[in-house]
Amino acid sequence: MPSGMPAAISPSVWISGIGAICGAGGNTGAILGSFAEGRRNSVLTVPFESTISCPTFQVSGELPVLPGRFNASRTLRLTMAAVKEAMEDAGIERFGESTRVGVCLGTTVASQLNNIPFYEAWRREPKTSLDPIYDYLSANLGRAVGEMLGVRGPRMTIVNACSSGTDAIGVAANWIRMGVCDVAIAGGADELNRVAMAGFWSLGVTSSQPCAPFDRDRAGLNLGEGAGVVILESQAHAKTRGKLCEFAIAGFGAACDAHHLTAPHPEGRGLDAAVRAALAEAKIEPAEIAFVNAHGTATADNDRAEGKVLARIFGDGVKFLSTKGFTGHTLGAAGGLEAVFTALGLRERWVPASAGFVNRGEDIPVAPVGTRKAIAGDFALSTSLAFGGNNSAVVIGRVG
Amino acid sequence: MKAAPASILGIGAVTPLGRDLQTIFRRLEEVPAAPVKRISDEILADPEFSKHLRRADRFARMAAIAAVDAWSAAREGGEWKVESRAEEEVSMDRVGLIVSSGLGPHGRGFKFLDGVLDCGDLEGLPTDFSHSVHAAAASYITGLLDLRGPSLSITDFEIGFENAVLLAQCWLERGVCDRVIVGAVEELGEVLIACARQMLGGKLGVGAGKAALGEGAVFLVLGPAEAGGKIKISVEEPVAGCDLVMVDDPAIPDQGPPPGAKRGQSFLPAFGHSASSSAFELLGGLLSMRYGEPRGGGVVDNATTFRTSCGQAIGLRIEKNM
Repeated sequence: MPSGMPAAISPSVWISGIGAICGAGGNTGAILGSFAEGRRNSVLTVPFESTISCPTFQVSGELPVLPGRFNASRTLRLTMAAVKEAMEDAGIERFGESTRVGVCLGTTVASQLNNIPFYEAWRREPKTSLDPIYDYLSANLGRAVGEMLGVRGPRMTIVNACSSGTDAIGVAANWIRMGVCDVAIAGGADELNRVAMAGFWSLGVTSSQPCAPFDRDRAGLNLGEGAGVVILESQAHAKTRGKLCEFAIAGFGAACDAHHLTAPHPEGRGLDAAVRAALAEAKIEPAEIAFVNAHGTATADNDRAEGKVLARIFGDGVKFLSTKGFTGHTLGAAGGLEAVFTALGLRERWVPASAGFVNRGEDIPVAPVGTRKAIAGDFALSTSLAFGGNNSAVVIGRVG
Repeated sequence: MKAAPASILGIGAVTPLGRDLQTIFRRLEEVPAAPVKRISDEILADPEFSKHLRRADRFARMAAIAAVDAWSAAREGGEWKVESRAEEEVSMDRVGLIVSSGLGPHGRGFKFLDGVLDCGDLEGLPTDFSHSVHAAAASYITGLLDLRGPSLSITDFEIGFENAVLLAQCWLERGVCDRVIVGAVEELGEVLIACARQMLGGKLGVGAGKAALGEGAVFLVLGPAEAGGKIKISVEEPVAGCDLVMVDDPAIPDQGPPPGAKRGQSFLPAFGHSASSSAFELLGGLLSMRYGEPRGGGVVDNATTFRTSCGQAIGLRIEKNM
């Protein structure tokens, strides 16, 4: 048993690799650099023609060029950038033919049949080019990544809105525990998109300033883009190939509010249940959680509900942060990215200041970390709340 | 695929053939010739749901009605459970939901775009946007049933329902949930119909080598094997020797039943094809097991759907719980 993981739990799902790309950087090293310097790379533009002007967190630099129609999807290109880094981190160049490799990825934008240029053309003349439809049909995330990697195993695309990435990790961990596959590529990805921007604007939850999660004066979210991917592996498979892993999925929980289509339950009922389920699966007490990478969108409702739950379960001294001040809200990617950031926090033994937070508000009973903090402990939690009322939580444990 | 089979405790469906299961079964006898099979507004305008579904579009309505019907059937026992056992008390925080769809609520998505294109990016309607996400249907279902377990929406253009059932089996076997409501829903919006006509050309229709389009929702309530369902379900590689193999078109050699199957049958000429075709095939198989195969095809004790996806054969196997 590697040090750090109590013998009481059975960490059957190892994390053998992590990869990420987002507005904070093109890989985990660059992202850590932004975190360390407190650098926020938001820009006051959107990367498409629109009358909406508000800060966004965009990925800069080259993305992988993908074969055929796959290349038409920016979300897929972001995904493959993160997959590539995660596979390198896992020490996997390619998967063997006998290895059952599952792919479970979350997204929102790539799942929507709502291409504006296509629809604009279709409204003028219904017999328009169907290329955008074929591109869309080719970009089912789980299916496309599985095909590009040529792997044999289950493929699933999760469309649970903003908890998709976390849910994908939970599903993939379940597959491995059940022996459905030996290895799984899990996480989430989303690109900045005009439809999502117009949609969040219509809901009145975007901020015209860089976002300020958990702050008294928070005024809404900023959208971002990116991908966060973990390689999960059964303990047996990792051992067979001699891979020493640093982290494991110790627990996962999900529960829904049954409350409202877009607003969280005001007391965070579902999130409370999800966090407790994740802790129970990990067989640990709340005090064993070193820090929480909270969903923290900087909307009034989310941060209030989430703050109440964190205070209720972990107490006033809970060490938590939102990384959305560095990345923006990356929707389906958020859970994948934040799981990677949670693992990085455990690896580096520090977490950055919760970017954008300045003043504690009266409606939130706890405050996030205002400066870079050292971390002691072997477990950390990442939480996600979503449109539709689902809530998910994943406990990551450091094992080496 | 190692998860244990699950017990089917309730079924609900909203299909072009109707909503009542016996009515659907009767109508399987006569395949309607229409190449595009949509669901009548009458079925979707059930006054029982008028308050809760007043903002819901066709997609969310189909899903919600079918899921609530499945849950009601499971609660009442009788139809699908051994010895007419009523459902024992199940805590709603131990009930999970998995909703699968290929194309999601695209009708509402395009309605949101109408607002953006007609009035500008700043003027899209928030209700249209919130209902355009895949998870909107699941939200209606959890709200209607006060369901507080995990809720998951997934998408795939071929085997989403198979993925959903497999995950439900995993959740049940690992004790994540005591019951899982698992379903598939597809909507035929105006844009999709036009695109399909353009893509399929002369192949759109009913008959050998043709495909009709369909929409609807099929939901199952699943429990562990000991929960007492008359029929059990599992996702597995299709095996030879089934009473009934449900395939896209038994007349086409590539899509016909695998060697050793006693009979091939497709229910898609009746329901129409969609990204969730296998859910409707499965419904036909379940009704055949319950009421006898349409057109006097004989007794069905077990059946399987049959798909080849990404080079692998996959099936939804249903079998009488002896």
